[in-house]
Amino acid sequence: MSKHEFLIGGQTVSAEVEKNAEGYLVKTGESQFTVVPIADGLFSVSVDGHRKTVAAVTCNGSTYVDIDSVLLELREPSQDGVAGGAGDHAEAPDKIFAPMPGKIVKLMVAVGDTVEPKQQVVIVEAMKMENPVVAKAKGRVKAVNFAVGDQVSTEKPIVELELEK
Amino acid sequence: MTDKLFNKILVANRSEIAVRVINACRVLGIKSVAVYSEADKNSKHRLLADEAVLIGPPPPRQSYLDIDKIIKAAKDAGCEAIHPGYGFLAENSAFPRACEQAGLVFVGPPPDAMLLMGNKVESRVKMADAGVPLIPGMTASADDPEVFRKAADKAGYPVMIKAAAGGGGKGMRIVHDPSGLKDALEAAQREALNAFNDDSVYLEKYIANARHIEFQVLADMHGNCVHVFERECSIQRRHQKIIEETPSVALDDKLRKRMGDVAVAVAKAAGYVNAGTVEFLVDDKGGFYFLEMNTRIQVEHPITEMVTGTDLVVEQIRIAAGQRLSEPFFHLTQRGHAIECRIYAEDGENNFLPSTGKVLHYTEPAGPGIRVDSGITLGSEITIDYDPILAKLIVHAPDRPNAIRKMIDALHNYKILGVKTSKKFMVDVLQHPEFAGGRTFTNFIPQHMTDRTVDGNSHHALAAAVASLTQRRAVAVDTGDGRSAIPSPWESLGAWQIGESIHE
Repeated sequence: MSKHEFLIGGQTVSAEVEKNAEGYLVKTGESQFTVVPIADGLFSVSVDGHRKTVAAVTCNGSTYVDIDSVLLELREPSQDGVAGGAGDHAEAPDKIFAPMPGKIVKLMVAVGDTVEPKQQVVIVEAMKMENPVVAKAKGRVKAVNFAVGDQVSTEKPIVELELEK
Repeated sequence: MTDKLFNKILVANRSEIAVRVINACRVLGIKSVAVYSEADKNSKHRLLADEAVLIGPPPPRQSYLDIDKIIKAAKDAGCEAIHPGYGFLAENSAFPRACEQAGLVFVGPPPDAMLLMGNKVESRVKMADAGVPLIPGMTASADDPEVFRKAADKAGYPVMIKAAAGGGGKGMRIVHDPSGLKDALEAAQREALNAFNDDSVYLEKYIANARHIEFQVLADMHGNCVHVFERECSIQRRHQKIIEETPSVALDDKLRKRMGDVAVAVAKAAGYVNAGTVEFLVDDKGGFYFLEMNTRIQVEHPITEMVTGTDLVVEQIRIAAGQRLSEPFFHLTQRGHAIECRIYAEDGENNFLPSTGKVLHYTEPAGPGIRVDSGITLGSEITIDYDPILAKLIVHAPDRPNAIRKMIDALHNYKILGVKTSKKFMVDVLQHPEFAGGRTFTNFIPQHMTDRTVDGNSHHALAAAVASLTQRRAVAVDTGDGRSAIPSPWESLGAWQIGESIHE
């Protein structure tokens, strides 16, 4: 038997795996599933009388799973400092990041401006499309770190806010 | 057919459409030459073609948009013709002209027809003269915001700003009231400049409750011109089609014939040869308006092929070689119902923001009436350099309800991990009662999908159960029935031991 723990959507879920006649019996909390590996990254599971094919793969401490077209990402708690990567900057609403690397084509705010939640602050062009980036919280613009025409990554915030209470 | 149409064709594109054209060449016994950028060294189209030529660094301007390099590659490889696919140079009239000068056949329309239809403003004027119905709006592009303000007031809000050189949803903005006009105008001009190297835009009335219905046309060099029925492409996000189907529930035989006749008239008025698409908006009273003609093979051409049993890319090549339209095209019928879903590298749960990454797992669905046109494989790197289309899922079934069910199943069985897609979003569209009821209008997504949420919580236990089996220490090779339970190779950065105990 092997035991595993994952962080998923802010919760910790543990799983116990045991080999059985069909494949593997996996117990997670109150649920249990018989999971049969059918090919690289593909698993067959019967849920409520319906058989599903689930895809799953682990890479760099993250496991990506597709169940009925719903995409889930699980992390191993031991490796998990801060959930990294683009789009996971949600815990820092005072910093506004590009959602993907690209070029700034428009900046709508300057230092000193007040922004509202969901207000567009910058437009980043990537994959030939203009992608508006919005503020997540109300605040006053403290710093604008890039100018129109600059290439941006997802690592450095484009705009920094002083949050208003 | 005893003589080959051509000996060798260069495919001036990448991804799924390059793969599609290479496969058509193969069917015809024609050798194919791919071109690729440094970003596409291991791409599917490069590896599938008989020959491949590196044409430059990743930015399109230095590779897939560089006419001189592509013409040189074609000449050096001994090609007789070039197929442009869609996007990139497909609708740039300088490209067929350069082919002509180099003594190469361009698989597409004559440059003059392309130039006319490429200018959305000039083509409107020409089509108005030919008696084709148009949406009220400006008859010329302009720079002065005041001209737009007056035109908008005259047409009545909401209005739509469009790129004169447009297509693919780029440089388009809907404006609901005068206060939003200036910003929308600037954004559309910027996007048009970036996408088409031309910032001219124009304005027309926005028609609510409209359907986007287009007709495939084919014309040969001998004066034959036919339409190959309609495709309804009303399900759009950010003015880009994501789900297309044929036949359209909105057309009866009478309206289909009227629109088809107009489509053929448009192609003839333009002096068109080869495959093209005439796009219309259809309002809820059965009125229809000419939008534009796309002078290329369309992304969504497979659904037409499915219901008519034809191969449009093969026919394009035949026409380019000077052949007459194949006999079947003169008496086609529509059989059954076909749907296409476009799989884009974008986050369907986060405003369709582009997603990048490496494809860590890839499985395509298969079965009767299921077709996948894809440009990727396991290990493909999805970067920001190019259009985010990964693949197209196409299904064919006896009727619409069965086609919808088949597509939902195909989407579930199209597995791609490592990059986000809008797969789940499309499942939800297909399962929506308004979609099932055929009430598919161009505002479907803003109207019905805005408040949608995805309940991932119910899947957490199962996700964790399956995830544990991707952990090396959980799974040993199953020797019982000869099947191995080997986790994906991407997980095994280190060595993993066959026969490793599951007891730790």
